[in-house]
Amino acid sequence: MINYLDVWGLKIIGNSDKWRLRQAVIFFVVLAAMFTDNRRLVFFFLSATAFAAGIGCRQPPAGRAADRPVTPRSTIRYAHGFRIDYYEGYRDVSIFDRKAGRTDTLHYLLVEKGVDPPANRPGLPVIVTPVQRMAVISSMHIAMAEFVGVADRITGLGSIQYVSSPIVRAGIRAGKVKQVGIDAGINNEAVIAMHPGVLIVMSNPGTGGGTYKTLTDAGIPVLPDADWLETTPLGRAEWVKLVAALVDRDETVETKFDSLARSYRRLADIGSHASPKPSVITDMPFKGTWYVPAGESFMAQFLRDAGANYHWSDTKGTGSLALGFEAVAPVALTADVWINLGNVDSKADVAAKDNRFGSLHPFQTGALYNYNRRINDLGSNDYWESGSMHPDLILADLIRILHPGLLPGDSLYYYKQLK
Amino acid sequence: MNGQLRKLPLTGLLLLLVLAFLLDISAGAVRIPLHDIFRILLAPSPGDDASWSFIIEKIRLPKAITAVLAGCGLSVGGLQMQTLFRNPLADPGVLGITAGASLGVAAVLLSGGSMATIYAIKELSSPGSWLIAGAACVGAGGVMLLVLVLSGRLRDNVLMLIIGLMIGSITLALISIWQYFSNPEEVKDFLLWTFGSLGGVTGRQLLILGVTVLTGLVAAFLSSKMLDALLLGENYARSMGLTVRRARTIIVCTTSLLAGSITAFCGPIGFIGIAVPHLARLFFNTSSHRVLVPACCLIGTILLLLCDCISQWPGTQSVLPINIITSLVGAPLVILLLVRKRDLNVNAYR
Amino acid sequence: MNAGSPLLYAKGLQTGYHPSGKKIVVTSGLPDLVIGSGRLICLLGANGSGKSTLLRTLAGLQSALGGTVEVGRATAVGGEMGRGGAMELADCRHLSPAEMARSISLVLTDRVGGANLNVYSLVALGRYPWSGWLGRLDQTDRAAIERAIVAAGIQDLRHRKIHTLSDGESQKVMLARALAQDTPVLMLDEPTAHLDLPSRIRLMRLLHHLTREMNKGILLSTHELDLALQVADEVWLLQTAGPLHKGAPEDMVLEGVFEAAFAGEDVVFDRTTGVFRISPEGERRIRLAGEGTIAFWTRRALQREGYVVGADMRADQLVRITEEMGATRWILETPDGSRSFGSIADLLRALAGVRKD
Repeated sequence: MINYLDVWGLKIIGNSDKWRLRQAVIFFVVLAAMFTDNRRLVFFFLSATAFAAGIGCRQPPAGRAADRPVTPRSTIRYAHGFRIDYYEGYRDVSIFDRKAGRTDTLHYLLVEKGVDPPANRPGLPVIVTPVQRMAVISSMHIAMAEFVGVADRITGLGSIQYVSSPIVRAGIRAGKVKQVGIDAGINNEAVIAMHPGVLIVMSNPGTGGGTYKTLTDAGIPVLPDADWLETTPLGRAEWVKLVAALVDRDETVETKFDSLARSYRRLADIGSHASPKPSVITDMPFKGTWYVPAGESFMAQFLRDAGANYHWSDTKGTGSLALGFEAVAPVALTADVWINLGNVDSKADVAAKDNRFGSLHPFQTGALYNYNRRINDLGSNDYWESGSMHPDLILADLIRILHPGLLPGDSLYYYKQLK
Repeated sequence: MNGQLRKLPLTGLLLLLVLAFLLDISAGAVRIPLHDIFRILLAPSPGDDASWSFIIEKIRLPKAITAVLAGCGLSVGGLQMQTLFRNPLADPGVLGITAGASLGVAAVLLSGGSMATIYAIKELSSPGSWLIAGAACVGAGGVMLLVLVLSGRLRDNVLMLIIGLMIGSITLALISIWQYFSNPEEVKDFLLWTFGSLGGVTGRQLLILGVTVLTGLVAAFLSSKMLDALLLGENYARSMGLTVRRARTIIVCTTSLLAGSITAFCGPIGFIGIAVPHLARLFFNTSSHRVLVPACCLIGTILLLLCDCISQWPGTQSVLPINIITSLVGAPLVILLLVRKRDLNVNAYR
Repeated sequence: MNAGSPLLYAKGLQTGYHPSGKKIVVTSGLPDLVIGSGRLICLLGANGSGKSTLLRTLAGLQSALGGTVEVGRATAVGGEMGRGGAMELADCRHLSPAEMARSISLVLTDRVGGANLNVYSLVALGRYPWSGWLGRLDQTDRAAIERAIVAAGIQDLRHRKIHTLSDGESQKVMLARALAQDTPVLMLDEPTAHLDLPSRIRLMRLLHHLTREMNKGILLSTHELDLALQVADEVWLLQTAGPLHKGAPEDMVLEGVFEAAFAGEDVVFDRTTGVFRISPEGERRIRLAGEGTIAFWTRRALQREGYVVGADMRADQLVRITEEMGATRWILETPDGSRSFGSIADLLRALAGVRKD
C-alpha cells in the first residue's frame, strides 16, 4: 500500500513512521487552523489531506492470478529433472530431486509482471517474468541464454575467466557483466547490487538453499539447475526451456528445440545402426585411477548413439566409475579410438602424462580425438559452452570419428585429432 | 617382558617379505594365475597374452618395486627423525619437506588466481608427470634449504620441529587459497594427488626414484653410529665426539632426499614413517641403528606391500588410495601391539 | 702418568653466553684451574653462581668468552691409565669433538630417554670415540665395558631397560658409560642431586676410589659441602659475581673462606664441626664436662636448644657425662641441685623446665 507521503516524496521514512507523521501533520494543521480561526484554510488543508490520502491508496490490480490451468506452451519430453505447468498468469516449475529412492520436488512460481501470485500456493519462491536481468553460474547457462536469444540479459557470471560467447565477452569488456563467484564463494553483495530477476545456480536441488539464504532474503530468486544429472544429451539440453520460460519465449524455443531434437534423432538413428562398432575408451587416468563414464551417463548415451562399442555401456550409475588402471588396461590396449583426453593438445603431451600410454593401441594408430578444437584466446573451451546446447554437433563429430564416410563432409566441429 | 609378544625371527620376516611381494603382484582387477606371472616375468615369449604382459610388466611390477622403495625410504626417514628429535611421533615430513612438495605440486596443478608465472609454466606443457615430480622436488628442496639455514642458527632441536610445523601450516594456507580460486577440475586433480599413489612410476622415473632412495638408505645406514650417539641427546653426543651440527645437516639432507623423492613421485604417503620404526624397535628389541635401519626397511616394505594389496580392493575393479589404507591398517596395528606390550613406558622418551 | 700431572689446564677463563651477538658474562677473572690426574676436585657454589656454565665450558660443551682451556691428548686406544710420562696439552679449540671425547667424559643432569635402550647398550655407547665405523665393538671395547660395569657396581642391571631404573641406578649407569669412555678426565654435573643419602655416599666413595685406583682426574660440581669436605682433594668455591677460591678443603675452612662466602644473617659456618649451623647463636651459657662422641653430640643438642657450650665457661649450669653401670648418664648441676637423666631428650626437657622457672 503506497502511503500518500510517498507521493510527497518522503520515501525514506518507514511505514509506521509515515503513519504517525501523517497523523501528526493532520493534528497540527487542524490546530493551526483553529488558532488562525480561518475556516477556509482548515477546509482547504483537510480536503487536501483527504484527497491525497485517496490518491495514495493502492490502485486495484490488473487482475488476480487464478490457478486455472491453461494450454501448455511447451512440453518437456527428454528431461526428467523438471516440468513446467502452465496456469493463467503464471507457470509452476517443478524441479525433482531424485536421491535415494525418494523424490523431493521444489516448486518455483514464474509469475507474470503485474500479476499477484496465486493465493493457494503460499510460501513458494516467486520469479517475476519476463526476467530482464539474470545472473548465471555455468558456461552452459550462457549457451542456453544464447540459444534463447537473451545472452545480453546476463549481468553476472560465476566466473568471467572462461567465456566463449561473443555477446557476453563484449558485455564483460564493457563492464556490464560482472563476476559473482561460485557456490559458497558467491559474492552476495555483487549479486544484490545488480538486482537480477533471477540467479541460476548449478546445485543439487536437494542440498538446500542455505548457501543462498542471504540472496533469497534480499528478494533475489535462486533457481537451481540440475541438468548435469540428466542421462541423455537431449535431456540435458532441454533445460533450455526453463530459461525460455523465464523470458517468456516458450514457443520460439519449443520450435527451435524440436528442430534440434529432430536433427539429433536422425543422426542417432544413423549412428546406432552403423556397423562395425569400434571400441572406444574415454578420459585419462591419473596414476592408478581411471574415471570412465558409467552406463547411464549422457556420455555413454552419446557413445551408443554414435555407434560405439563402449565396454561399460551396461553398468549402472549416471556419473563416473572409478576404476583401477589395470581394470581399464585390457580394454585400452586393444581399443580403436580414444576420445575426451582432457588437458592435452598433442601426442607428446599424452606421452608426457604417463609413458605407458605409448603402448595403447589408439596412441599407436594415432586415433586420439580430443574436444579442444574450439578454444579461444582466453583458454575457454566452447565444448563446455555451446557444446552443451548442440548435442547434435557433438554427435555428428563422434559419428565422423567412429564411422568415417558415413556422414557427408569430414570436418569436425568440437573435436580434433591429436598429432 | 610380555611373553605373548612373539618375536619374529629375521628369517620369518624375510619369508613374509617374499610372500607380500608375490601377493602384491598377484593382486589386481584382472585375475592372472601365479605361474603365468612367473612365466611372463622370467621367460617372456611372443605368444603371451599381450594385455597380461602389459599388466604385469607395466602396471604391477613397477608398482611393487615402488612399494618396496617407498616402504624402505619412508620408514628409514621416520627412524632418523624420531632419533634426531627424540620424539616418538616424528615422521619424515616433520620438517615440512612433504608440505613443501605439496606446495610445489599445488603450484602447477591449481590455478591460484592470478599467478601469472605459474600459468606461463603450464602453458609450456600440460602438467605431465615429470612436471609434477619436478615441482614437488623443487618445493621439498626449498624447504630443506630453509631448514638447514635456520638449523645453523639454532641450538635446540625443538625449535627446528616448531619451524617445520610452521612451514607446514603456511603451505597448507597457501594451498587452500589456491584451491579456493581454482575450478573444480583442478581441485579434484590436486585432491587425487594428495591421496597418494604407488602406480604410475615407470621407466626412467622408477630409475630415478630407485637411485635416490638407495642413496638415502645407504647414507642412513652409514650414519648409524651418529644416530646411536644422538639417542642420548645432543650434549652427551657432543661429549662422545659427535660434531652435532654436521650430523644434523647430514641427517636432514638424507631424510629430505628420501621423503622428498618419494613424495615427488608417489604423492604424500602417511603413517609408514611414524609406525614402522616403533614396530622395528618392538620386534628386534634394540636401539642400535645398525640393526634398526635394515629392520625398518624390511618391515616398511612388508607393510606397504600389504597395504598396496588391500588397496586393490579385492573383488572389485576399483582402487582405493594408498594413504587411506596405510592409516586404516597401520594405526590399529600399532595400537594393538603397544597395548599388548604392557611395560612400555612413554616417559622413556623424555 | 704420574699422579698430579695436569690433565686439563684452564688459563684466564671467562665463561658466558653470546646469544644473538650480545655477550653475557657469567664468570670472569678466574684463576688458573688445573685438573691433575688422581685428584678429585669439587666445584662448589650457590645456585646461580655459574657452576654449570663453568663445567660446561671446561668440558667443551660451550665455548669460552675468553681465555683458553687445554686438555691432554689421550693417545692410548682404550687400555689402562697409568702409563708413564706427562701428557701433552693442546688447546681445546684446535681439537675436534672426537679428540676431546678421548680426553674428557661427562655425567650430566640431562635425562636420557632412548627408547628400548638396555643398560649394556647404554654403557656400550661410551665406547663411541673408540668403536669402529658403524659402531662395532671389538675385544678391547667389550673389555672396557665390562670393567666399567664392574667399577660402577651394576652387574645385575645389565639387561634392564633404562626407563625401569631408579634414580640411583640410573646415575650409576651413566657413570659406567662415562667410565667405558676411558678418558683421563671425568666431569660430573651435580651427580648427587636426586640420590638418597646412602647412594650419595656410595657414589662419592666410588669417585674417590676411581681417582686413587685409576688415576683419573675427576671434577664434580655439587651443593653438598659436607661430602665435599670429606672426599675432595681440592675444592673450587665459586661465588656469584665473586672470585673463585681454590685449595685444599681444610685450608679453606681454616682460612674462613666458607664463612665469608656464605656469610649472611642466618647462615653461619661452624669451623669446628664443618657444618652450617641452622640454629641461631645461643645466649645462655652452659658448661659441659665430658669427652668423645657422647660429648660431641650432647654439645650439638645443647647448641640446638640455644646454648653456648664450653668446658671452661662461667655458667650457672653444668652438664656432666658419666657412666653408671654400663649406661650413660647425664648429670645436670644447677644452683638448685643436681639431677640425673638417661637420655639427652630427658636432659633437654629438664633444661626447658628450668628455663621456665
